[in-house]
Amino acid sequence: MTVDELLGFFDPKLCIFDLKARSRDDALEEIVDLVAPEPESNNRRIILDMLRNREALGSTAVGKGIAFPHGRSLAVSRLMAIFARSQEGIAFNSLDGEPTYLFFALLAPPQDRSNQYLPALGKIIELVRNDSMREKLMQVTSFDGFSAALREAPTS
Amino acid sequence: MMSQQEQLLVALQDLDLMLKETEDSQDQFEKLGFDVSGVEELRKAREQLLEKLDRTNLSHYERILKRYGRAVAPVTGDSCLGCFAKLPTSYRSSLYEGKVRTCQSCGRILYYP
Repeated sequence: MTVDELLGFFDPKLCIFDLKARSRDDALEEIVDLVAPEPESNNRRIILDMLRNREALGSTAVGKGIAFPHGRSLAVSRLMAIFARSQEGIAFNSLDGEPTYLFFALLAPPQDRSNQYLPALGKIIELVRNDSMREKLMQVTSFDGFSAALREAPTS
Repeated sequence: MMSQQEQLLVALQDLDLMLKETEDSQDQFEKLGFDVSGVEELRKAREQLLEKLDRTNLSHYERILKRYGRAVAPVTGDSCLGCFAKLPTSYRSSLYEGKVRTCQSCGRILYYP
């Protein structure tokens, strides 16, 4: 999967450059608010339950200040990626015990015919593995800046 | 508005999907650096869900799951996305409030987003 293909799943409207949340659950809620903003909507509750269950399976905060909340849900009609950043850092039960700053959430329908969910997840992980990339992403202030940073990532 | 039973059935399907995908793709998730060791936690969450479901709804879910691999289908427009059959428009009315709606053609439980 190319960086541009991956960027096709992101959306300028699905980015938060300054998460207000201070806890894991609040962070997930703030992220889900982007895709299902109506507080009482069925989709909101269902996606949140799915992401909470995914965290119960094992933390998606893999360390180095990054988390990849992800999963499939009936309440999701197409593969979508969300970028969120906390300047303060959030206790997200990370594998290294450190706060999490960068969040890349990936939501997929139960079945994506072109099977792009796991390759997309793998591509994001590959791109942000690099220390300097994470530093850049802590500085970006717009979706254009975010896209440009990912496009400049060294290719492996 | 979805009934509580419908919400539980959708949550159950999402959970079953997660359990299946974890089982099928455990190596891939672990290669990506994810911890997927909490399968028992998910199974407990599933048990708790089952306790809240009516027996009739649960047995319907299990029967359809066995037949199609997935028991709940979303509705788009007025069509079941499991079999694409047209659904009665009355399904959206208050007549069905609090009830679990199923497709008259394939039997799948319907999810109205």
